[in-house]
Amino acid sequence: MIDLPESIRARWPFRPRFARVNGWRMHYIDEGAGDPVVLLHGNPTWGFLYRDFVALLTASGRRVIVPDMIGFGLSEKPTREEAHSLDGHIANLTGLLRGLDLTRATIVGHDWGGPTGLGFALANRQRVRALALMSTWAWPLPPSEFHTRIFPWRLMHAPLVGPYLLGRHNALAGRGVYLSVVDRERFRRESQAAYEAVLPDPATRLLTWTWPRWIPLDGDGRAVQRFRWLEDGLRSSTWPTLLVWGREDDVFDHGVFAARFKELLPHAEGPHLVTGRHFLQEDSGPEIAARLVDFLDRLDRTEGRR
Amino acid sequence: MPVTIIPRPPLADHRLALVLAEDRIGHYPEFRAFFSRAFDLDRVGLAEPGYVAAPSGLAYALVFIGRSGEPWPAGVEVFAIVPALEPIDEPTVDRDLWAILDWMIEGVGGEWTTRDLQATGRLYRIPPATT
Repeated sequence: MIDLPESIRARWPFRPRFARVNGWRMHYIDEGAGDPVVLLHGNPTWGFLYRDFVALLTASGRRVIVPDMIGFGLSEKPTREEAHSLDGHIANLTGLLRGLDLTRATIVGHDWGGPTGLGFALANRQRVRALALMSTWAWPLPPSEFHTRIFPWRLMHAPLVGPYLLGRHNALAGRGVYLSVVDRERFRRESQAAYEAVLPDPATRLLTWTWPRWIPLDGDGRAVQRFRWLEDGLRSSTWPTLLVWGREDDVFDHGVFAARFKELLPHAEGPHLVTGRHFLQEDSGPEIAARLVDFLDRLDRTEGRR
Repeated sequence: MPVTIIPRPPLADHRLALVLAEDRIGHYPEFRAFFSRAFDLDRVGLAEPGYVAAPSGLAYALVFIGRSGEPWPAGVEVFAIVPALEPIDEPTVDRDLWAILDWMIEGVGGEWTTRDLQATGRLYRIPPATT
């Protein structure tokens, strides 16, 4: 069990819960009551990314569930690369959300929380009410321009370089997130330790260089078929959807990626642009949470629930 | 002193200390091809590790891993060869590993350059790249 620094615990005061899912031990929080909102992080973060969302959502009359992906946060961290796959992570999430027997869930996905959350949604349509997406993707090709570059992206997770840079030196959870926020000084002062603390040793950081290797760069990528299924499923979906993107996002540029979601989901609201790079929750957490609450309140009124 | 491939060093009173592991050496296939070429792995197979000498003077063993159904080699483990009962010197090993990575990138070649590796190390403030 990881002992979070007191300064971090004070900003993440929620009761830790654990569930056995798909053969792994998953940490999550479950706060409030009402229609559930599931907040899904990506690489290399954990539930802490959504710390500014929880109180606003529960105060608005909603139940908030924030799982830590297996391999991150306070969840179990497998030590072999073969333990990780996109399908496996979707199955992990499915194990948790089915175990909680959630219905009328709003799935909020960021980074790899997008493909995993959307995978759950498309395979469990009857449990899902709405979507909210931020700085993510759900199609096989083309990749983002950032992900095709040798410097720094492909070199960072290249064979042996990944285990060295991201494993021995924790480069993604520390410096990597720092480089992908707008207010870097505030992030360094207030939050960087929260992401580094939960990945204390090289073996615990495996997923930080494994996830990048699952991003399709061409038609031979391991997850191409699953991403094609995601894209096809989304195209035919009618869930109310909210798109929120960082204006300064240089990983999933809003002009390309939010626009592609808008093309797939013409009924989606947004994209609402906020101050933020890839980890936009770090710069604009309360603003995004307020937008989400407003989106759900309007959805309730449309359905005659408020 | 650059990284060089060496014959098997004396191993008596020494141990192999695992310092880096890679489960997926062929994620970019040109990396697998480099190691196959450098250590003649199609001929040598699993018979013995590859050995290199690093800038500190320490020798390292590269133990290649096979996995059913995947091209050979599937992975590699890097071991520092150190006096049997002595702890490793972490900064020394860290600098040596960075040099081994530089040697590997030089050997892989093509679009992979040591200039980009060094720039990546500096961007992420890895001590051997910044001092």
